[in-house]
Amino acid sequence: MIVSKANTEMKILGISAHYHDSAAALVIDGVPVAAVQEERLSRHKNDAAFPMAAIEWCLDRAGLEPEELDAVVFYERPMLKFERILTSTLRAFPRSWRSFPHAMKNSLGEKVWIRGIISSQLGVPKSKILFTEHHRAHAAAAFLTAPVHEAAILTADGVGEWATLTVGQGVRGSEGTAIKLLREIRFPHSLGMLYSTFTAFLGFAVNEGEYKVMGLASYGRPTMANEVRKLVPRTSDGAFRLDLDYFEFHTTAKRAYSSKFIDVFGRPRNPLEPIDLATADGRRYADCAASVQAVLEDILLNIARSLRRETGLPDLCLSGGVALNGVANARILNECGFERIFVPASPGDAGCALGAALYADRIHFGEPERETPDHPFWGPQVDARELAVLAHQDQQPVEDMDDAALIERTAHDLAQGRVVGWMEGALEFGPRALGHRSILAAPHKPEMRDRLNRDIKGREQFRPFAPVVPAEAAETYFDLPAGGARLARFMSGVFPVRPQWRARLAAVTHVDGTARVQVLEEGMAPRLYALLQSYGRLTGMPVLLNTSFNLSGEPIVNRAVEGYLTFRRSGIDVLVAGNTRVTKRVSVRSRTEEHAA
Amino acid sequence: MRPMTPLHRFIWRDAERRARKLLSFAETEADGGRDLIRAAELTHDPTLRRLYLIHACDEERHAALFRGRSEVLLRSLSKRAFPVLQLDWISPGERGLDDLRVERASDASLLAFLHLSEKAAARRFAAYRDVTGRDPKTSEVFAEVVRDETFHMNYTLSQLTRIAPERRPMLLWRARFGRLWKGYLRLMSALADAIGTVILTLQYFILLPPFALLAKSTAKKEPCGWTPVSAGHDRLESQY
Repeated sequence: MIVSKANTEMKILGISAHYHDSAAALVIDGVPVAAVQEERLSRHKNDAAFPMAAIEWCLDRAGLEPEELDAVVFYERPMLKFERILTSTLRAFPRSWRSFPHAMKNSLGEKVWIRGIISSQLGVPKSKILFTEHHRAHAAAAFLTAPVHEAAILTADGVGEWATLTVGQGVRGSEGTAIKLLREIRFPHSLGMLYSTFTAFLGFAVNEGEYKVMGLASYGRPTMANEVRKLVPRTSDGAFRLDLDYFEFHTTAKRAYSSKFIDVFGRPRNPLEPIDLATADGRRYADCAASVQAVLEDILLNIARSLRRETGLPDLCLSGGVALNGVANARILNECGFERIFVPASPGDAGCALGAALYADRIHFGEPERETPDHPFWGPQVDARELAVLAHQDQQPVEDMDDAALIERTAHDLAQGRVVGWMEGALEFGPRALGHRSILAAPHKPEMRDRLNRDIKGREQFRPFAPVVPAEAAETYFDLPAGGARLARFMSGVFPVRPQWRARLAAVTHVDGTARVQVLEEGMAPRLYALLQSYGRLTGMPVLLNTSFNLSGEPIVNRAVEGYLTFRRSGIDVLVAGNTRVTKRVSVRSRTEEHAA
Repeated sequence: MRPMTPLHRFIWRDAERRARKLLSFAETEADGGRDLIRAAELTHDPTLRRLYLIHACDEERHAALFRGRSEVLLRSLSKRAFPVLQLDWISPGERGLDDLRVERASDASLLAFLHLSEKAAARRFAAYRDVTGRDPKTSEVFAEVVRDETFHMNYTLSQLTRIAPERRPMLLWRARFGRLWKGYLRLMSALADAIGTVILTLQYFILLPPFALLAKSTAKKEPCGWTPVSAGHDRLESQY
């Protein structure tokens, strides 16, 4: 442990960058004060660039200059990662001859020089730049943000440096904080890579389309689960390995699966080909998705069960990209003996920026334990005045209302079938809109789901939408197990909709009768909570459809102008930012009038 | 463009190449649409914001048109053993939008850049419309896109005249030079990339085999399954 500066606030910047989902997070005196993904500022979805805009925003938010930082922590060890890339390429010799130049140019161009890049971009001395291991950053992101003093920890993703899955435990209290990773599974044996391989096989973009595989799985049956199990046999110590004859991700960047894989699962789907479940191919794709989902769940459950037995701890902190799989998370909660599962709002690589900063604070510098606020709202605030100015300039109907009137009015809008863009307060950190940058709609009719898919989100019909419900009413509509509300706090679990409500919650009930519900406590987003209550009084059901405020291929909106322009070119009917409400006078697509201008 | 017509006719004759080119055009148009939305978000001029928004919607619509036509063509084809050569350098789509750096440009320089980009695209798409006459549906797609490009070309010039009447010629020349410079950089980057690939491939086959043998033999000794995590890895100073 390094001794920190006495009697001064530690200011630590965490950074994740260069693979996908770059982000920066600032921790001062042990507490997060700012965290934002680069994509939300650059407006390039999944922006992997060095997150300069995010860093600048975090520092501005705290009124800091870079030289005032005590440490800058990068979320992984670049040279260790390079070692893995080089070793994997060598092991695949000579089949890796095509990927070798690409991998070397990719790594040596920028990624391995991160210490120099941070130092030169921020003007901080190299001695202040630290590195956590990738999975430690994941573990810290889950454990050090959870309201818990001791917990088992499970992290799983595609790959970090070498580790692809780790188990361990964390403890914190007056005697200090410790995160102990007990053991790991190493590349190329990876649950994340297994799932991503099927994502690519099913014609979806890797690191983006995994949600779609999970959504599609509900339409299929795990008829090919035994075949998938052959790809990922269990080892005698309770772990697993990948049978590399079926994969090519470790030898080439061109294709993730091998010809042998195709022999087993058939022709891969052309990304342009729609999935038609009425055809044999469509059903085969759905069955593939269901099969890999079932196998993933089985393996995770097995590992989680043994971790529960080994640690004897009732709480589990779960992180890494695999923790975005809400169906698996819910099964772990139901079947592994854990009382509560904590998945952070940003379990993917972006969250590692916050995890790395917290890890440095608590463990490297040994700073005393501080309670981390239990919400995801660490980004820029929305400026309602900006929205009012924009709407006035475009002669769109705009009103400023007090809180009560606005909420009442919005509830009426929703009850009348209008789609509402809802912006308030600070932007969410993480992939999910949890009530500050959301598109809200009535959850009752399937036509609403179809309308949102068609006119706003531009996405596949098989993908479900999520509901949001006040904590007090959650049990009425959703079959939540003990601990389910906690898992649903950041939309991290998929739970059954109670059968008697499925018809009235048709827009948010998936084909298998489940929903990825957000259970909202009043303290987390009071205005959305009030809106739910108001909507409940009008319709008898305080549940709304809540989807992220973005269009296809774009990141979630941040500023009012971004929400406004999204509202203008989509089927959103009403836009609310703070206390400002804008409705649509004319569609931007009616060119005639605009030409006159 | 005229001297290129026989070459374009040859390139666009092949149905699979036609389909794949349309698909890549769709991606460029969609990216361009997003950049224009970004421009609309950043400008303080309400008229420009409205026009950028219309322009972005047009680009999104073009992307949908190109993608839709491409899908129809691809569905009608039987799969080839080898992918067809695309020849993107000879018949590009709306080149230029992919080079946009919206955050770094003022409204005036962005308009100058857009004007030239749209003008070039209008000319190019008109040529593609003419050489795809044997595939009337594809030709129609180009015809529709050309109509919009003409509007884009005109509004960018008239707005440039409105906001920077005196600097207009200078801005247009600067934008022309910028396009040339970016083209040069693209070419040089591609060349450097190709040289790098050749050198690294040679190194791979000449220098790496002994290390590859070593790596393979150590891989065989590595047990599968759980690996204990060593305690020393929690030191944060090391990149290793």
